[in-house]
Amino acid sequence: MPSLTPYENPAYFIMLAVAFIPIVIGMLWGKRFHWYEILVSLFFILLTFGGPKFEQGIALIGYLVYEVILVSLYNLYRKKKNDTWVFIIAVLLAIAPLVVVKLTPLLQTGAASIIGFLGISYLTFKAVQTVMEIRDGVLKDFNPWFFLQFMAFFPTISSGPIDRYRRFKKDYDTVPDREKYLGMLEKGLHYIFLGFVYKFMLSYFFGTYLYPKVQHIALQSHGLSWGLLGVMYVYSFYLFFDFAGYSLFAVATSYFMGIETPMNFNQPFKSRNIKEFWNRWHMTLSFWFRDYVYMRLVFFFMKHKTFKNPKTTANITYILNMLLMGFWHGETWYYILYGLIHGVALVVNDWWLGFKKKNPGRFPHNKFTEYFAIFITFNFVCFTFLVFSGFLDKLFFH
Amino acid sequence: MDTKETVLNILADLTGNDVSGSMDENLFDSGLLDSMGTVQLLLQLQTELGIEAPVSEFERSEWDTPNKIIAKVEELQ
Amino acid sequence: MGKKLWMIFGPLVVAAVVLIGLLFSPFKINRINSIIEKQAATSLSPNILKGDSVKKAALSKKYYVPFFGSSEFSRFDLTHPSVISEKYDWNFRPFLMGAAGTQSLTHFFQMQGVNKQLKNKKAVFVISPQWFVKNGADPQAFSFYFSQLQAVNFLQNQTGNESDRYAARRLLKISRGTEGTNSEVTGALQKVSQGKKLSGTEKTYLKYYKRLLSHEDQLFSDFSLKGGNEDKVNKQLKNLPDNESDSLIRQAITKQAKQQTSSNNFGIKNSFYNQRLKKRIKSFKGMEKNFNYTKSPEFSDFQLVLNQFAKDNTDVLFIIPPVNEKWAKYVGLSENMLNGFNKKINYQLKSQGFNNIVDLSKDGSKRYFMQDTIHLGWNGWFAVDQKIKSFIDEDSKNETHQLNDKFYDTTWQKLDPRDLNTYIKDN
Repeated sequence: MPSLTPYENPAYFIMLAVAFIPIVIGMLWGKRFHWYEILVSLFFILLTFGGPKFEQGIALIGYLVYEVILVSLYNLYRKKKNDTWVFIIAVLLAIAPLVVVKLTPLLQTGAASIIGFLGISYLTFKAVQTVMEIRDGVLKDFNPWFFLQFMAFFPTISSGPIDRYRRFKKDYDTVPDREKYLGMLEKGLHYIFLGFVYKFMLSYFFGTYLYPKVQHIALQSHGLSWGLLGVMYVYSFYLFFDFAGYSLFAVATSYFMGIETPMNFNQPFKSRNIKEFWNRWHMTLSFWFRDYVYMRLVFFFMKHKTFKNPKTTANITYILNMLLMGFWHGETWYYILYGLIHGVALVVNDWWLGFKKKNPGRFPHNKFTEYFAIFITFNFVCFTFLVFSGFLDKLFFH
Repeated sequence: MDTKETVLNILADLTGNDVSGSMDENLFDSGLLDSMGTVQLLLQLQTELGIEAPVSEFERSEWDTPNKIIAKVEELQ
Repeated sequence: MGKKLWMIFGPLVVAAVVLIGLLFSPFKINRINSIIEKQAATSLSPNILKGDSVKKAALSKKYYVPFFGSSEFSRFDLTHPSVISEKYDWNFRPFLMGAAGTQSLTHFFQMQGVNKQLKNKKAVFVISPQWFVKNGADPQAFSFYFSQLQAVNFLQNQTGNESDRYAARRLLKISRGTEGTNSEVTGALQKVSQGKKLSGTEKTYLKYYKRLLSHEDQLFSDFSLKGGNEDKVNKQLKNLPDNESDSLIRQAITKQAKQQTSSNNFGIKNSFYNQRLKKRIKSFKGMEKNFNYTKSPEFSDFQLVLNQFAKDNTDVLFIIPPVNEKWAKYVGLSENMLNGFNKKINYQLKSQGFNNIVDLSKDGSKRYFMQDTIHLGWNGWFAVDQKIKSFIDEDSKNETHQLNDKFYDTTWQKLDPRDLNTYIKDN
């Protein structure tokens, strides 16, 4: 039994194409074969987590069983009562496996946790979000069997995009009409080929071809250098094309299955400020943090009047939110610093926008200033990616 | 004071703009509302109209213009 | 709906059919010409080593002589074999099949695709003592020059003897954990390593997989070839006297070498010294005291190469280069240890009937013999050039080889050269 990382190998795509033939035919005739979809999902999950990676497969099964039981129990409880402390415990328990996996390398000098598997953090997002919506009472018809399928939806299992329970259910329970489905097929195929260009050409060019070269130059000259600047830009483009390429594959695969998984990227490098950047970059993650961390924290602080000023509330929450995202990426100084920088950047960004609003007419606004804003934002973002890459760690401390 | 007036007042307070002239303007695109503003809006609705709208209920695309907000509030009342 | 579906998927279907037809067809896509061969001969490019098509095309001509070796090939000074053979238009040109990081194992696998071309051919093989470190070839360096095509070639050539089993085992071990290995190929290698025969399906799979890989190689292996090294060769040509006279050439060598080693007392080329050594020169003192080239799995990997040469009846000139003696003294490299290595490698060669050996190990103190710490240059290259030229010019001696599988044992790998005499008696 071989083990294939999703979307990395021609064989994987060929198998996808073959497995999808019955699904596509069914959909065109207005039918959804849920049992067949489950079989296909199972097959591809086995392909990813089978063979030499079977330990990860076992960890995945254990994790899914744990989360399904946990969320189901919370749902049963919520039907009767609604204490805040129970909710908090449910959320903590839902993220507990992820915390263990993230902390293990730190505590055991780089060792990987045995309960870890590719994609655990993305599944945790889905689980936590479901708990929160049950708590809010907007998710009334929670179904453990469906929840399992939502969690284990194979096109997005390894790295997102992060879908939402209720949104996913809407698609899952219906069959798009033929006209719409044909449109989705067309878009899906387009995304796959765009993904090929992103992931196998551009990401390869930047990541595999250029990156080692600029790294070498930067390492030879110690400290700040032109090589380091090269590392910064090359890594940024690599990161974008690699992840956006992967996301395109995941979205396209979902489309073939009649599920409109949300997009993850929307031309992030033409953002005019950091706030806009986070509305264009890894969108399902930043929206998740916006909806389930930022807005809830703000809500909490405002309701309890923790801070006098709404501005202070917003600023502190920005930083908490982005720091948490940094910690989520991994327990290293550069991920955390990356989060912190973006938190501060959001604060500065808000302050600047407010300042401009208070002083109308003081600053010119034209094509040139817009390009200038894009230029500044792009370079700032690339700089934060340089921090994120961990290359500085290698350069300064090793 | 009817619902519409109350909502418009809250929005004017929050955004610093009178939005009654552009009832179908997308408040997020124009930068008048953001996540922070949204939470403030939800809290204000709670205190002034007694609407219990949890954050989960808030789906951006359903709350992005003054008209949509008013419709949503009336639905929740 | 049919029309709409065709509009969506039609182009994909057509493209797939054309591509599959192209990649799996039994026809050879021939686009290697003499310009590509010439560039490839000095390119030192991993793509050339990984592939077959360019090597096959070039080595099928008598004009190109395969040179196996490693980083010394990138020292293009005025007496580098590629330069001198071009300048005086000798009747052959080196086809350089090695670069920094290539060792015996790489050479064995890259030979798998060109056995036919190596048959009864002359070849040069530069053995670096530095390959023979405790753990042998570095997995990363090996993977840089390794391709699935090499593995498939090997699987198709192997007959299941001791040497093949060792090679399969070694390959599995060194490539463990590297991405992009084909699981069918790995499975087949496992079978060979256990002495089992490949099944019919496995052979068929390998046949079609090879077609795919060969076509990829034919289409793309010269893709990133650049004439960079060709320019280096051409630039050096003017530094040689037009008249091919030993004394004039030696004068030219002295002129260039003197000028280029002015920055240090080791006789090391300025650029190398300034970039790689100068900053940390203090830390190098005595650093290589404990270096040991006498116990290494490389001895068995080298046996694979010998085995292949014998099988192909290739007539090989082996060159053992010295170490820059002044430098060796400075870093504390043991002369005793180097002698021990020499004894061991000479025994492995001669006891099996490989007698064309140019042993330069005692020449490390000669002036301008080395270009830097361990790489041949100037006078060193010139000494080699003369040996090679007469070797190519004379008729093949038709050596007979008596190969011995004992060289695959760890006993041999780990044998202390001081115990060599006892070992010979016992075996």
